Formats: sequence, structure tokens, C-alpha cells
Amino acid sequence: MIEVVALLGVAALVAFGVRKRLAVVGTVTLAALAAAIAIVVLMPMDASGDVLELPWHMSELARLAAVVLLGTLCLLVLAVWVDEPAYNFFPTALVVAAVVLAVLVLTTPIAIYGALLLGLLIPVGSFTFQVHRNRSAEAAYRHFSFVALGGCLGLSALALSASLGRDQPPSTFVLLVVILVVAFALKLAAIPFHTHAALLASEVPASALALYFGVLVPTTFIAFAQILVLSGLLPAIVSIGKVQDLLLALGITSALGGAFLATGSTELRRVAVYSVIANLGQALVGIATLSGPGIIGAMAIALVTGMAATQQLLAAGTLERRAGVGRPSATNAPLAALAFVVGGFAMIGAPPLVAFPGHFFVELIAYSYSAWMGTALVIATLGVLVAQLRAAMAIFRTAPDRWRVERKPIAGIVGGLVFAALLIGGVQPDGFLQPIAAFADQFLRALHPL
Amino acid sequence: MLLLAIVAITTLAANSARQLRYTAVAFFAVALAAHLIDDGTLAAAQVLVSAAAALVASAILFVAARDRRFGEDPGWRLWIATIVAAATTAAAFAFLRPQTGDEINTNLLGPDPSGVTTDVAAFWLLSSGIAILLTARGAVRGSLGALLMLTGTQLLVQQVPGPHLALTLLLSWLQVVVALAGAFLIVNQRAAREA
Repeated sequence: MIEVVALLGVAALVAFGVRKRLAVVGTVTLAALAAAIAIVVLMPMDASGDVLELPWHMSELARLAAVVLLGTLCLLVLAVWVDEPAYNFFPTALVVAAVVLAVLVLTTPIAIYGALLLGLLIPVGSFTFQVHRNRSAEAAYRHFSFVALGGCLGLSALALSASLGRDQPPSTFVLLVVILVVAFALKLAAIPFHTHAALLASEVPASALALYFGVLVPTTFIAFAQILVLSGLLPAIVSIGKVQDLLLALGITSALGGAFLATGSTELRRVAVYSVIANLGQALVGIATLSGPGIIGAMAIALVTGMAATQQLLAAGTLERRAGVGRPSATNAPLAALAFVVGGFAMIGAPPLVAFPGHFFVELIAYSYSAWMGTALVIATLGVLVAQLRAAMAIFRTAPDRWRVERKPIAGIVGGLVFAALLIGGVQPDGFLQPIAAFADQFLRALHPL
Repeated sequence: MLLLAIVAITTLAANSARQLRYTAVAFFAVALAAHLIDDGTLAAAQVLVSAAAALVASAILFVAARDRRFGEDPGWRLWIATIVAAATTAAAFAFLRPQTGDEINTNLLGPDPSGVTTDVAAFWLLSSGIAILLTARGAVRGSLGALLMLTGTQLLVQQVPGPHLALTLLLSWLQVVVALAGAFLIVNQRAAREA
């Protein structure tokens, strides 16, 4: 595994060196990502080893998530290469790929967390552009502050919980778990810790936004679940209900708040970003139920939402660019508009896409937990549906005399590929859900170690 | 204990500096003193890696300043940060220090196997960093806050049983990336302000 991470690291250095030669840097980046995916797919299941005494393990979930996230990165790189050349994006994407792999395969909580922080800080360079004309530098600084604050607090809580003996008072562990949960809420932009995400949504380039919400946010969610399992803190969460209540409260607030904010948004990017926040809220509720279906649903929602966010944010970027100073409209880029609309199906968890089982499991388990919680999640999904419908109607408000496919329809092609992948996953859900179910088993075993 | 005093004083110096270059130099002093605190598990390789990372991080901030006068006046934020840091350090030590029941013995110059000095330094750096980061107006003090927090975190991670060198390397890389991201933001915010 170290060889794959090293390959991506070396490729990032090469990409940085030749970043202004678009054809070369695009080819190098795509080739390195494709090679990494191939090695991950061909690697035997349950392969393991260690690097400088840091153990790693290729689990079923790690393989699935690596293929999904690196595949998403490939599509993003392709879109940036063809449609929106941004020199810094290519090395950034490669470093993010290396970090994503490290987060997925490492088995030491502190190392997972450290690698995740590296990944979250790297895109700061891609967030800023034309700083004289917009607030992208401020948005990037706010992201930096949230990551640094949440990151150091979370790492410290993990280090303290690992160095303290288990005979400490329960209040100490409650405090540490609460700090860890808040630290992740800061990084996941869960409401009420979402102000940096709101600024990012309106100020930074669409491709960088897609890198963050499409790849890094799902990685953060998976890291959160893995750290809970590996840190040995789960039994403390079970024995003290307050932490579970905190997770549920955060999840429901994010699900309802995200849906509410999405409904009120007029910008396409904001609709996509707040839909992601709403879905992550649902995923947090799934984890907080500490049940098999809840965990499977949560992880499925996180992965699928990342793909849908990539699809919608790239489409939104294309529509905005083609519209210039006017309102984004399907007349300028019909394929991108279509990609945005079909991305909405995945965001709301509509069948037959593979987005459906995740939402279904979480809402079902929420109902069995308490009726009002299930109702809250259904209301949140309806809110996201209304927001997506409003956005679709705004894009297709005016129709041209004759539909003509836009020049360089890369956002539409990416949208089509993502939709096809989600459809195939929906027709054959076992291939997608089986690895997640294996992780849920591991989660439940960690919950009750005896 | 002497190193702990140096950590406290240099943190105050970094916090009160109006010029980024002084802040960078003071941060290097903070990090060096913090990593030299001996809790009985100090290894030369780890100290070297951590000190090298601190030096690189300070150098990055020093270069990002571009001229001697550039910086951010802390004003009233200095006092808020100091008071909050002192109060939070005491609270964190009371709540989060392991209850081993052993008697605590510290001395002025020698190693401190009880780990009390390391814990106090870590909590002080974390709470100072949080206070500075939360009251910062821009990337200059924001970067300092992030770097101080990370140094405190490094001290806590040192005490975790496991692959020490690997974790030290990882956190050192993280420190350099934090400094690079901070410097990038400093340069961009300055360009936006001067436009």
C-alpha cells in the first residue's frame, strides 16, 4: 500500500513541476489515479502490513470507498482538464488521492486523523482565485481555521483517551468523546458549524468545491466511523446515553437545517452544498442509532452523496460560466442542466438509484427509534426534494427554439457517468452494500467487545 | 519546569508580537522548548524531526512576511487570549489529567517522568492556540494559533503508547502543511487588502 501512496505522492510532485503544461499534467494525473485504482482493485482482500510500525489493512469497505472516491477524483480531473483549466488542481487532486487511500487503510486512529487533516488542508491552495474580485481568500481562511481548530481538538481528545487508563471517571470520557464529536462536526460542516461551508459555496471555484464536498467530506465521514471503531470509545458512548443524544441532535439539526437552507437558496451551488449537509445529517443520525441498518445506511449515504455532489457542483459551475452575468439556464448548457437535475435524484435517495437503500435504511431505523425522529428525517428529505425541484425549474424556466448540445459538454458527460454508476449500483445493490455491511459488523462488535 | 516557563514566556512573546517575523522566531522558541521537555520517553530522533519541522514552519512564516514591518497588532486580543488560556489550562489539567494517585514530583532542570510538565505545556499551548485562533482577524494570527495548537497536540500524542516515530513524522508534516497553508493565506489576504 505504501507503494501506491508513494506513487501518488511522486506523481503529485511531477504534476506540480509541469502544472502549466495542461496536456502533460492532465495525462500524468489521470494515469496515476487509474494506476492507483487498478492496484487497489487487484490487491488481495484483507491484505495488510505496516509502515514504520504503523499497521494498515485493506478491508472490504476500504476497497469500495477507494474505488468510489478515486473514481470521483478521476472525473473531477477530467472536467478540470477539459473545461476549467486550474493549474494547482492537478497536484492537489493527487495529494488528496494519496491521503484518501491512507485514511481508508490505516488502522491507528491518530494516524487516520492526522492523514485526514493533511487532506483537508491541501485544497486551501485551490480555493483561492482572483482574490481582488471576490472573497475566496476569506473563505479559504475560514476553512483553514475550522480545520485547524477541529483537527487539533479532535487529535488531542484521541491522544488523551488513548493515554488515559480505563479506570478514569466516566465524566472524563464523556468530555473527550464530546470534544471528538464536535471536532468532526466542525470538519463535516454540520449545522450549526457550517458557516465556512456557506462562504465556500458562494466564493470558491466549482471544481475545488466538488473536490471538498465530493471527495473530502465523505472521506471525513468514513474516518469518523472508523475512528469510533478503532479508538475503543464506542462502549463508553453506549454506556453514557448523553453522547448518543448529542450525535442524534447534531444529525437531526443538520438534516432539517440543511434542507431548510437548501429550500431557501437561489444559487445552484448552495442548493447542492446544503443538500449535502442535509444528507450528512441523516448519515449522522444513522451512526447515532448504533444499529446495523443505521450504520449501513449512513455509510451508503455518505458515499453516494459525494458522487451526487460532484455531479451537481460541476454542472452548476458550467451553467454559471456559460451564463456569464445572467441567470444559469439550460439554454446555454442543456447537458450540464440535465446532469444537475439527475444529480438531484441521487441527493433525495430516489429509486432505482443506489442512493435509495441508504436513505431507506436510515429513515426506517429512525422511525423504529422514535416516531418524531423518523418524521423529522422524512421532512428533511421532502425539503431537499423541494429545493432540487425549485432549482430544476429555475434552470429550465426558459426554453430555446432548438436544443443544441453545448461545446465541451464535460459536465454533462461526468453527470451521465455518475448517473450510470448509481443506476448499476441500484440494480445490483449487493456489490455496493456488502462491503458496508462487513464494516457494520465490525462496528457492532466494537460496540459490545465481549 | 524551566522549559515550561520558557514555553509560557515565548508563547506570550509570539502572541504579543506586532510583526510576523518576530512571531515566527518566537514560535520556533516555543516549539523547541516544548519538544525538549523530557517526560522520560524523549528520543533523539523524535526531537530532531519535531525541531526540524518547527524550524521549517517558522522559516515559511518568516519568508511569508516579506518585510520586517508586516504583521497584525493583537491589541486587546492579547489579554483575552492570555486570560482565557490561563483559565482553560487550569480547568483542562483538573479534568483531564490521569488520576493515578501517585505523588507528583517536579524539579527545575531534570526530567519529569510523571508527565505533569508535558501535560501543562500541552494544555497551555492548546488553550493559547484556541484563544488566538478564535480572536484572530486574519491569517497572521490564525496561523500562529493553529501552529501553537498543533504543538500542544504533538506533546499529547508523544505520551500515547505506539509507533512514536511514525506519528512524530506525520504530525511534523502536518505542521509544515499548516505553515504552508497559513503563509499562502497571508500572502493572498495581503494582496487582496493592498489591491
